[in-house]
Amino acid sequence: MSAGAKKRIMKEYGECMAETPAGMKINFDEQNMTKWEVLMDGPDGSVYAGGHFKLEIIFPNEYPFKPPVVSFRTKIYHPNVSNDDKGSMCLGLLRPDEWKPPNKVVAVLRLIQSLMVEPNIDDAIEPSIANEYKENRKEFEKNAKDWVKRYAK
Amino acid sequence: MATAGDDERTEELETLQSIYPELVLDEPFAAYVELLVAPTTPLSITFEPAQEVHKVAYLPPLRLEIDLPIEYPAEAPPNVKLSASPSWLPSETVDKLVKEAHSLWEEYSGGQMLFAYVSYLQEAAGTTFGLSELTLPDSLKDELLQYSKHMKRELFDKETFDCEVCLEPKKGSVCYRMERCNHVFCVQCLQDYLNNCIAEGDVNNVKCMSTDCGKLMPNGKKKERLLSPKELLQIPLSLQAVERYAKIKRKKKIEADPTIIYCPRSWCQGAMRTDKYPKIQDVREMDDSDSDAEEAVETILEEQQAPSGPEKRRVGTSGMDRLAVCEDCTLAFCKVCLASWHGDFVRCEPRDKNQLTEEDQASLNYIMRNTSPCPTCSVPCQKSFGCNHMTCFQCKSHFCYLCGAWLPPENPYGHFGNPKNKGCYNRLMDMVEGDMANGEAQFGGARGAEQIADFWEQEAMRIQNELNAQDS
Repeated sequence: MSAGAKKRIMKEYGECMAETPAGMKINFDEQNMTKWEVLMDGPDGSVYAGGHFKLEIIFPNEYPFKPPVVSFRTKIYHPNVSNDDKGSMCLGLLRPDEWKPPNKVVAVLRLIQSLMVEPNIDDAIEPSIANEYKENRKEFEKNAKDWVKRYAK
Repeated sequence: MATAGDDERTEELETLQSIYPELVLDEPFAAYVELLVAPTTPLSITFEPAQEVHKVAYLPPLRLEIDLPIEYPAEAPPNVKLSASPSWLPSETVDKLVKEAHSLWEEYSGGQMLFAYVSYLQEAAGTTFGLSELTLPDSLKDELLQYSKHMKRELFDKETFDCEVCLEPKKGSVCYRMERCNHVFCVQCLQDYLNNCIAEGDVNNVKCMSTDCGKLMPNGKKKERLLSPKELLQIPLSLQAVERYAKIKRKKKIEADPTIIYCPRSWCQGAMRTDKYPKIQDVREMDDSDSDAEEAVETILEEQQAPSGPEKRRVGTSGMDRLAVCEDCTLAFCKVCLASWHGDFVRCEPRDKNQLTEEDQASLNYIMRNTSPCPTCSVPCQKSFGCNHMTCFQCKSHFCYLCGAWLPPENPYGHFGNPKNKGCYNRLMDMVEGDMANGEAQFGGARGAEQIADFWEQEAMRIQNELNAQDS
């Protein structure tokens, strides 16, 4: 990783510390600054409220020219998060063809928060969950809350 | 007589100098200053006689020379002289501005008015002294454009920008302003980003890094454009990288075009020559940013969708349609069979029968049924009349019309007199009235195989039809 990339990650971390977005905690290891661990609270009013989700952000060597890779380390029942042990996400900003170098991690974290409030059904990675969200909202909410109880407490 | 030191005039000039440090005092009661002419909207100048119109952002400065007579300020106005070098300012404008000094002096009724005059000139410079456009001789063009460019750079260099990528404040001298959208980034970040894109072959991302430039327009399209090779060299990127960029960009366009055929030589595989994608000559001259690869694909897709059903043969195209020439190794080859070029009148086995037009398919079928190929050059030959010993019209080979066998020139007829050649024995004079006259003649060789295949195909169809008839 280039010195410029490291510098930029440090700067972004500094900005996050100066003004941590509400409902998040960022763990940062100076030895390995390309991997951030974020603890995100399920946003109030969403089906995930009350849950605490562990996220992992990996910065590629070409950062900020390539987007960071985000994954849920806590299982979450969500149309935009892969329903496996990887918990990966790939939409909007996080897509390599949509990412622009001036975008920052904070913007990514905010995107995730807003997705927890309202999933993006058109860009779902889990079609069956998306379908359930569309067709049978009650069932979806029950399942999502179930998972919060099981995995995110 | 008053000395310079305590003269009111000296005092005024010195005060003026403390406000405008660029003011030069050259004689006891004289001074000059050059005032920047940077109109808020660039001035459009038409250069005669070529009628070339340019928008000029910075004009050569207005030089103000002040000479204060002993009667100034109480009894006489200041003597002012205005000029610009090269002289682009019309003399009427100069006269008008000079007169203004007089009116101001009157307005101030004999008070010190130099500061007011200089501020007036500065303000007027913001609207190019009321000029909305200008017509100047061609001889001034280079100097004026050069000056404007130089000033732009000089002022840009002095500014400070926050690079949105490294998040550092950078001096303008190490930054670059994008030509089309005016976004500014530091050269280092631009180079890192663009070189990375080019190295990875990701040429569709060679565009402005700003998030504003990636926004969707109301029509659902993105307004961003790929950067031109010329601009990349200005940033600057190395000539080598820019050449690679131009090459990949062109290659992607060619690959997206289904009408392009590639050279059949396995060691070459170059694209065929075409006017659509001219070969790259000099990237330093390439300032086309609008040849966006995505756009090119779109137009090709539109073209593809338009004609459904059998393709119509374009009127007036020659039979040379099949000829293609490789742009790399200059091999001439046939677009249909991919063999090296065989001339216009030779039939060739198509690579893909579906790519033939109905007409072409029909004539191919006709050729298959009514000609025998020469065993040497494969040119289709049709017997118009006479015996079955043929001489190829093209390569003069002797061959048997019935089975396609090559015949020795010294004794071509032996073939028909040898009982071993069952299919042709004693059949020298079959179909003496020519091919087509009766369809019953039996052929051997490739044509015979074709005939048998045809027969069984028809037989199968006949049986199928019979079965269908029984079912209903």
